Amino acid sequence: MDRRHFIKLTAITGTTAALTACGNPENQVIRFIPEEDIVPGVAVWKPSICPLCQAGCGVLARVMEGEAEVFRNGQPGVIRMGLVKKLEGNPADPISQGKLCARGQAAVQVTYHPDRLGSPQRRVGERGSGQFKPISWDEAIAELVGTLDALAAAGDQGALAFLTRPRRGRRLDLVAQLLARFGAKPPVAYELFSDDVLRRANAMSFGSHQLPTLDLEHTRYLINFGADFLGTWNSAVAQSVAYGRMRQGQGGLRGKFVHVEPRLSQTGANADEFVAIKPGTEGVLALGLAHVIMVAGIRQGSAAGRAGAVIEGWSAGLADYTPDKVEQRTGVKAAKVERLAKEFASHLPAVALVAGAPLAHTNGLFNALAVNALNALVGSVGQPGGVAFAPQPSAAVVTRPLQEILAANTVPKVLLVDDVNPVFASPASWQVKDALLRVPFIASFGSFIDETSALADLILPDHSFLESWVHAAPESGSMTAVPVSAGPAMRPLYDTRSTPDVLLDVSRRLAKPISPALPNTFEELLGADTPKGVSPRTPKGVSPHTASGDGRTTGGDKPFLFAEAPRAKAEGLSVRYTDPQFDGDAAQYPYHFMPYPSQSFLDGSLAHLPWLQELPDPMTSGMWCSWVEINAQAAEKAGIHLGDLIEITSAHGSVRAPAVPSPGIAPDAVAMPVGQGHTMFTRYASGRGVNPIAILAPSVEAATRQLAWSATRVKIARVGGPDASLILFAGATRERPEETHGRGD
Amino acid sequence: MAYRWGMAVDLDRCTGCEACVTACHAENNIPTVGAGQAARGRAMHWIRVERYYEGDFPDVRVKFRPVLCQHCDAAPCEAVCPTYASHQSEDGLNAQVYNRCIGTRYCGNACMYNVRFFNFFNPEWEKPLNLQLNPDVSIRSVGVMEKCTFCVQRIKAAKVLIKSENRDLKDGELQPACAQACPTTALVFGDLNDPESRVARLSHSPRGTKLLEDLGAEPKVTYLQKQAWYEPDAH
Repeated sequence: MDRRHFIKLTAITGTTAALTACGNPENQVIRFIPEEDIVPGVAVWKPSICPLCQAGCGVLARVMEGEAEVFRNGQPGVIRMGLVKKLEGNPADPISQGKLCARGQAAVQVTYHPDRLGSPQRRVGERGSGQFKPISWDEAIAELVGTLDALAAAGDQGALAFLTRPRRGRRLDLVAQLLARFGAKPPVAYELFSDDVLRRANAMSFGSHQLPTLDLEHTRYLINFGADFLGTWNSAVAQSVAYGRMRQGQGGLRGKFVHVEPRLSQTGANADEFVAIKPGTEGVLALGLAHVIMVAGIRQGSAAGRAGAVIEGWSAGLADYTPDKVEQRTGVKAAKVERLAKEFASHLPAVALVAGAPLAHTNGLFNALAVNALNALVGSVGQPGGVAFAPQPSAAVVTRPLQEILAANTVPKVLLVDDVNPVFASPASWQVKDALLRVPFIASFGSFIDETSALADLILPDHSFLESWVHAAPESGSMTAVPVSAGPAMRPLYDTRSTPDVLLDVSRRLAKPISPALPNTFEELLGADTPKGVSPRTPKGVSPHTASGDGRTTGGDKPFLFAEAPRAKAEGLSVRYTDPQFDGDAAQYPYHFMPYPSQSFLDGSLAHLPWLQELPDPMTSGMWCSWVEINAQAAEKAGIHLGDLIEITSAHGSVRAPAVPSPGIAPDAVAMPVGQGHTMFTRYASGRGVNPIAILAPSVEAATRQLAWSATRVKIARVGGPDASLILFAGATRERPEETHGRGD
Repeated sequence: MAYRWGMAVDLDRCTGCEACVTACHAENNIPTVGAGQAARGRAMHWIRVERYYEGDFPDVRVKFRPVLCQHCDAAPCEAVCPTYASHQSEDGLNAQVYNRCIGTRYCGNACMYNVRFFNFFNPEWEKPLNLQLNPDVSIRSVGVMEKCTFCVQRIKAAKVLIKSENRDLKDGELQPACAQACPTTALVFGDLNDPESRVARLSHSPRGTKLLEDLGAEPKVTYLQKQAWYEPDAH
C-alpha cells in the first residue's frame, strides 16, 4: 500500500469513526483525521511551478497546518491539513532565481478562489447560461468515454479536437500523444498575445523556432522595439533580475536602455531614452540603424549572415533606409537615427529586442526580421550580453491554429477545452462563440466557469497546480533551464481530478483502449518523484541527464515526444518592407487603437484573482476597472478630462471606458489594458469594465496568420462626465512639476 | 549591539512591476476592500509604487518610487498617538500595537508619507480565501490603524533562530516579503548598525536621498536616485 492509498483509507476510516463517535445525525460537521506530517506552527517548503504564464518560474510554496473545509469521497467535512500560505521564488531555480512577479505571488488565490468548481458539472441551462449541476466522476467520465466511443465507432476520430494553450511541457505532450493514438488531429492552440511571429522570424534568421533568452546582465546598450520585457512578455522575472544587474551590477558600467514604441509602457517607462515611432514601422528604424552602421564602416553587412540575407536590399547596403527616408516613414528624426546607430554599434555588447505590438501588425514578420538582422550585424547573437537560444531537450508539439475549428465546414463534433478562453480573448468579428455553439459536444477541464467553459456540456475540473503534479519546459529565460516537474504541495481541497490523470483514465476506458497503453498516471509518466525539500530543477551547471540523489532523473528528455515540429526553413526569399495595413479609414477613424496586456491580468485569464484586481496599475494606478489612455494635450484640446466617459468605436464595434489623459502616448493613438470586461468569470471579474479585444478587426499578420491586435483604427467621442467607474489608487495622474525633481537628479 | 533596521531603495533598478505590493499582501494578511471601498480611497497597500512623469510627449521620462513606511527616527505619528500604539521599537521599527490602537487616526494625519491605513470595516476573506492567511500575522479588526512592519514576524523568527543556533545574523538572511520578491533587487533590507551590511553601504551612496527629508522626520529608508546614462568613454 503506498502512501496515497493509506491517506485515502484513513480518511474514510476517520469519517466513519467521527460519525459513530458523534452519534448525533444533526451534527453536520465531519472531522477527518489529520495528516501525519504537519507540525502545527512549523512551515515546510515544497517546490512547484507557477502556471500563470509561459515563463515557468520555479516557486517554493510555504505550507503550514490549517483547518480546511474539504471534500473526501464525495463527502464534505473539515480536516486539519497542510495548506499553502504563500508562494515565493525558488532560489535554486535558474529562471525565477528566488524572485517572483506580482501575478506569481497571487497564484495561490487560484487554489482558494471561492468560485472554484469543486466537482464535475453537467450543463442544465442553455449553453452560455452558466447553469450547471454537480455530478459524480463516474458519470462524468462515462459520458466522456461514451462520446469518444461513439466517434470511434463511426470511424470519425478526426472530429475530435482539443483546444488548449501552447505551453511547452509534458501536459501538452500527453494531449498530443493521446490525440494521435486516438486518430485525431494535433491539438489546437490559442494564445491572444502569441509570440509565433517572433518564433517564425527567429527560425528564418537564426534557424531556431523559439523565443530568445536575453543576457541583459552583460548588455551595455539595449534598443527595445516594443517588448514589455519587464512586465508581461516572455520570462519577465528572469529578464527583470538581469535588468537590475545591467543597471547597477556591472561595476560602474551602466547599460543604456532605449525604448521604441508609440506608447510608453511600464517597461518603456524605465528607459533612458524614449523614441516615439509610427505604429508598424519599427522594422524600418531597425534597418535604418543597420544602414548607418554599414555606411560608417563600423560593421560589414556580411557579418549578419543569414539574418541579413533574408532582408531585401541588405547586401546592397539598404539604400532604401537612409536616415532621411527612415524619418519620412517612422517619424524618428534623421539625426536621431544616426546618433542611435553609432551609439548602438560602439557600446558592445549591444542588443536589440522586439516583441509585442510591433509584431502585431500586418507586417509584423518584417519588423521581427529587421531587428534580428540588426542584432546579427553587431554580433550579439549567441554572445554574452546578447540574445541566445536555450537548448531544447525535446521538440515542441505540433499544434493547429484556432481558425481551423472556426470554419463552418471544419466544426469538430467533440471539443475538449483546457485552460484557454478564446470566447473572451478573441475579436468579436471572429465569432468564436458562434463557432463553438455549433460543436455538438464540448467538455472543459476548467476550474472556473468562464465565457468558454460556460458553453461546455460537461466540466471536469482540474486540480489546482498546487494540488497536482506539474511539468514545464520553458523555452526561454535561462540558458541552463531544463524541463522541470514538481509534485503536489498540498492535498486537494475538493472532488477534483488532475486533468492529465483524467485523460489517461479515459484513454484506458475506451471501447478500443488507446494503444500502446500509456502510464496510469501523470506522476508515473513524469517518471520522477521529487524528493522532499529538494529543488526539482537541475541546479546550474549540472547536466539535465544527471540523476538526482535517489537515482531518478529530475530533468526529462525521454523519447516521449511527438514528431519534430517542422522548423521554418530559410525560404530563399528575401523579405521586403510593406506598409502596415490598418483596419478603418484614417479620416473616419483617426486614432490607432493599442490594446496591451495588463500588468495584472495578462490576456484576461487572471482577472478573477482579487489581489490582482486591487493591484494598482503601474502607470495609471487604476484598480478594479477599465480605462482608455489618451494623449494629455490631445485630450485637453478635445475637452476630455480625467474620468470622462469615452466611447471608442472601430468598424467592428464600440466600448465605453473612462479617460486617463497621459503624456506617455502619441496624439494619434489611444490605448487600453486587456483583461477586464468579462461577462462571466467569477464574482470578482464578471461585469467589470470592458474588453478592448472585442472591437478589434480580424486583421492578421500576413505571413503567419497571427492576430494583428495593433492594426485597428478607432474614433473616440466623449459621451459623458465621470461616471465613477474609474478607480485610481493615486490622486491626479500628474504630479505638480516642483515635486518631480528630487535631489540627485 | 542592537539592530537598527533600515532599507535602501535603488530607483535605478526599480521597474514599477509591483511584485512587492502583492508579496506584502500575501505575507501580511492585508485585505482587499473591493471596488466600492477602493473608489472611496480605502484600498490598503502598505507599499505602493508612485509614478512621476516629466515632460510632454514624445520627450517624456518617468520615474517610479516605491513608498512604504519610512520607519522614521523622529516619527510624527508616534508623538501624536494618545495610547502609545504607535511607538519606536528597540530595533528602530516604527511599530504599531494593534491592541492599543483606539482608532483616533491622528497618526494617519501626522504621517507625511501617507502609509498608514485605517480599517473602516472588519476585514473579510470570502471562504476559502481565508485559508491563505499567514498564521504568523494577526488580523486587524475594525477601527484599527495598520501599516508596514518591515515584516516584524520574520524579524522575530530570525532572532529566535539565531539564538537557538548561537550565531549572528548574516546580512541578507532576513528579508521582508517585498525585498524578497523584488525581481531587480531594488529593495535592500538590513541592519544599519552593521557598517558592512549592504543596506548600510547603499545608504551612504552619493545617490542617496531621503523622502521629504526637509521635514526632519529622519527616515530610515534611503532612496538611491535614478542615474542618467552617460558615454563611458567621455569620462
